[in-house]
Amino acid sequence: MISNTKCECGHQNRVGTVLCEACGKPLIELGEAGEVLEMRYDGAARRSQRANPNFIDQIWNFFSSVKVAIYLIILTLLGAMLGTVFPQVSTFINLQNPEEYYKKTYGTLGGIYYSLGLADTYNSWWFILLLVMIGSSLVICSLDRVLPLYKALSKQKIKKHMEFLTRQRVVYQGPILERAEEWIRRATPVLKKKGYRVHSEGAALLAEKQRFSRWGPYVIHIGLIIFLLAVLFRGLPGLHMDEYVSFPEGEAKRIPGTTFYLKNEQFTVNYYSEKELPKEFQNTGKMLPKLFQTKAVLYECTSSCEDPSKTPVLKEVARHDIEVNKPLDYKGLVAYQYDFDLTPKLRSVQPVLVNKVTGEEYGKFKLDMMNPKRSYTLGPYTLELKNKYMDFMLNDDGEPTSKSPNPNAPAFLFLVKGPDLPKEGAQFIYFPKQIDKARFQQDLINEKLGGIEKKLDLDVKAMSDVDFAKSTSFLNIRMDRAMPFVWTGLAIVMLGLVLGFYWTHRRIWLRIDDGQLTLGGHTTKNFFGLRREVVSILKPLGVEVDEKSLDNGRNQE
Amino acid sequence: MKKYRRPVQIVILLLVVILGGYAIGSAVLGSHDRLQVGDKAPSFSLLGIDGRVHHLKEYEGKAMVINFWGSWCKPCVKEMPALQQQAEKWKDKGVVVLGINAGEDEMTVQNFAEDRGVTFPILLDPNSDAVRDYNISPLPTTFFVSAKGNITSIHQGELDLNTLDSQIGQLVAP
Amino acid sequence: MSTQDLLEISKQAFMYSFFLYCIAFIAFAVAVIGKSWRNRDPVRHERKWGRISFFISSVGLLGHLLYFGTRWAGAGRIPVSNMYEFMSFLSMMIMVAFTIVFLIYRKTLLGLFALPIAVIVMAYAAVFPAEVQPLIPSLKSIWLYIHVTLAATGESFFAVGFAAAFMYLLRTVNFDGKDKVDRRQKWWVEFTMFSIIMVIGFIVAVFAFRASGYQAVFTSQQITTDTAGQTTTKEDKVEYNLPPIVAPYNSKVESMQSFAGLDQPLLHAPSWVEGATAGRKLNTIVWSIVGGAIIYLLLRLLVRRPLGKLVSPLLKGLDPDDLDEISYRAIAIGFPIFTLGALVFAMIWAQQAWGRFWGWDPKEVWALISWLYYSAYLHLRLSRGFQGRKASWIAVLGFLVIMFTLVGVNLVIAGLHSYAGTN
Repeated sequence: MISNTKCECGHQNRVGTVLCEACGKPLIELGEAGEVLEMRYDGAARRSQRANPNFIDQIWNFFSSVKVAIYLIILTLLGAMLGTVFPQVSTFINLQNPEEYYKKTYGTLGGIYYSLGLADTYNSWWFILLLVMIGSSLVICSLDRVLPLYKALSKQKIKKHMEFLTRQRVVYQGPILERAEEWIRRATPVLKKKGYRVHSEGAALLAEKQRFSRWGPYVIHIGLIIFLLAVLFRGLPGLHMDEYVSFPEGEAKRIPGTTFYLKNEQFTVNYYSEKELPKEFQNTGKMLPKLFQTKAVLYECTSSCEDPSKTPVLKEVARHDIEVNKPLDYKGLVAYQYDFDLTPKLRSVQPVLVNKVTGEEYGKFKLDMMNPKRSYTLGPYTLELKNKYMDFMLNDDGEPTSKSPNPNAPAFLFLVKGPDLPKEGAQFIYFPKQIDKARFQQDLINEKLGGIEKKLDLDVKAMSDVDFAKSTSFLNIRMDRAMPFVWTGLAIVMLGLVLGFYWTHRRIWLRIDDGQLTLGGHTTKNFFGLRREVVSILKPLGVEVDEKSLDNGRNQE
Repeated sequence: MKKYRRPVQIVILLLVVILGGYAIGSAVLGSHDRLQVGDKAPSFSLLGIDGRVHHLKEYEGKAMVINFWGSWCKPCVKEMPALQQQAEKWKDKGVVVLGINAGEDEMTVQNFAEDRGVTFPILLDPNSDAVRDYNISPLPTTFFVSAKGNITSIHQGELDLNTLDSQIGQLVAP
Repeated sequence: MSTQDLLEISKQAFMYSFFLYCIAFIAFAVAVIGKSWRNRDPVRHERKWGRISFFISSVGLLGHLLYFGTRWAGAGRIPVSNMYEFMSFLSMMIMVAFTIVFLIYRKTLLGLFALPIAVIVMAYAAVFPAEVQPLIPSLKSIWLYIHVTLAATGESFFAVGFAAAFMYLLRTVNFDGKDKVDRRQKWWVEFTMFSIIMVIGFIVAVFAFRASGYQAVFTSQQITTDTAGQTTTKEDKVEYNLPPIVAPYNSKVESMQSFAGLDQPLLHAPSWVEGATAGRKLNTIVWSIVGGAIIYLLLRLLVRRPLGKLVSPLLKGLDPDDLDEISYRAIAIGFPIFTLGALVFAMIWAQQAWGRFWGWDPKEVWALISWLYYSAYLHLRLSRGFQGRKASWIAVLGFLVIMFTLVGVNLVIAGLHSYAGTN
């Protein structure tokens, strides 16, 4: 390392300083002597550069290097690419044996892919490690550069070393006729008109504008760090919830892990009509959905919430028509339309007890599929519910059982007591669905059970006595308390991008030595624009120059 | 400023290590959604067919066999007698056998228990809360839970008497 | 005006602007090449023809905007929701980006390179069915439109950056050099040329066979194993509009027109080429390479020297540093727009539609890859002093990454964005 850090102007610079902090004279030649100066961080020493680095310094220096940062970016990029070769395990719902699946579907290569852990690239330790390292690099790189740059920019000397000026990318040298101070005074309003802030000192001048754009990159990095931290803390328990819940129409159902209940009042699915479809789809039988909508009501449980032996007390808190792209959002609890099932589900029927001989009716009663009442009194009769089968079938031993818990073919076994019936009662089986009555031969079974099918019957008189859940809507219930931080981080990133890319920090140094004007100009980008601006500044001051000739020492053929 | 430089460096590097370790740790370890052997048995409070609310808490300190079943599921029905027999056998040794019915109503479950002579506690799970917490996919699934509340073994499918006996034996053995 | 009228105007405007771009391209060529013609003042010639060509390309852009506006009005939504609409929009934005950069730098030659890109992308758009398609619910979102349009805008600046960078390379690579570095540079410039011609080859092949009404139909058996381990067999019909060099895996010919004596497919796709249309996609890729190779060889035979060497004298009068600067500037303008469009608004939309702002879907990942790529470019440029040749190569390769994200992902990897299905 360079040991002599004292500049000829007398300023004591820190180790690693490229351009003297005071006068701008080059102390370390990064390129060839005489070439255009490297103006990164205004030639200030990066914080981490010190003479005898110890262990902590070495780690620090590692993350402080832009070269390392670029390698990290490239490694992350390549790693992300690997993850797109085959579908990731996370895209499959309920994959029982992923290893076998990958081998079977994608061949040997798929097997290798899986065993390397690439089937879950984005959750692998090395990918997360890369992201963590990028995060560290963001913090440390920024910290090491922003402070020295801030210092360098906030205490600029107006009069710079001659070599500093002549080795800028935009340079003009030429004679002027008037007195130096006079010319500087004349130049000041011209520069101010262009939006520059002007500082002068004798025969030297510094004009500067849009310095804030220099902070753009650091603002971006701060935003990215907030974003990464928000993503990291998203996973903390209590901040995050992700559940898929089915909501049959008309039932308030609890959202697991919360005190909220949601009721699907109505689910609608609309398809495009043939006329609305493009020609290639017409008459192909293809159905293109137009709308999925769940009319949802959200309730909050106010008491008896945790005790399953009591009915919870619910209070309506929100009401929303959930569509794809229009989720219900209540204080961060968001319900998204996810899927649906149009299979109707029988909920209850209200049959009437009829005397088959006289035709007399003994009134209606409500028979629920789930948790029905155990006994009913109708006229002179009592019906005691003995058993029920939701999906009726006879097993190998000829006993009635249920083949699923879903009310596909419900059957109810009653013990009926009353006039004209044996004292201990008679059994009667009832199939609410007309189709099942025929399929399972209700009359035949009843004949065997005791033969009261000739005397009594249960009959549903009107469609209004049948209660269906017409469809089931599947909602994805999510909660993500960290989202505001994610968006804040991204907003800061965008702010930094706009600052850094749509404005440029421009500086023009002038000094006049013995009737000779020397101008040096620097900008973070768009030298083309700066040259054009310098020409238009010099013109009213009586100096005519060609844009091209300002371009210092480059490609002059 | 210079004075604080070293502490600032150390604090930042420490934060990186802690946050990074947390990130990698949660990605590698926390990514499984399924319950695994060694996990704590998730708590529940469910209504039993005895009319009482059962909490996992009340069985603390006891070895447990938690069986998820449904009356429509043939293997569940078949293994019931074995469970009943084992429940009686190990009762005095502090082993609790619990049956959790997946989503059927009280009547069906009560009738079933009566028919089969099941006397160990049967709990109802009408909203599939426990089914969800225990990530049940096929029925029956049986969890063997140690006295400390950790899952020592998960058995999917029908259990025969011998497996059940040896599993409970292992559970009770010190 | 009825919807039908509007869509008809839109269709016409698309055609006219396409031809105007082609004419503008020729005019730009006259402006640049004509400088060396006899008995004229090169400066005046370039200024005059530069103006003419920029005027024509601007009229073309107006036509393109008319297409966009009328289709928007006719369809009742911003037309960026299928591949035809998206590619048309992208080419329009490339022209907008070109116009902006041209107005800043006034480099006639830029037109010679930016216009062909716009023309190729536009022709590529025309490959896809142009009908207005109704939208499935998840695509009905304002965020989607903002996301797609901004992403395309950012990408079009990258395209201009690519054009300028490629010009820089053509300008600076020593085509007569014999040493290793020169030869390698020459080879890669030629390879880039070939890649561009490959896209042209694809478009030419599609239009040639479409004009001739070519068709071949295959039935293929798809055996799928679902997650429960059950296999189901499904019969799929796949229609080819390009003669089948590669037939789908496990397929039978149902009908096939003969082409150049070919009445059986030459090859069958290997088993790992999955999905009903994957065989067709592979066939399309093979055709692009074949078509590109044929055009390239014809051109080589015609001019009898590498294409890079043919084009590079045109760029003699240009300042390479300006080209380098234009390329950098275009990318610097595009980067924030791309970030906002391809990442930020994509996340907002994903959050609205699916409840997760990021899902590692292949298209998302590739947008991230493009973003990381260009951020690496900017870091290399700003902090490591990469300029000129190195930076130009990165910008050229960057456009390949962008094109892969836009087209390749749909062609090779299918994901949630598969609605933008390709041929």
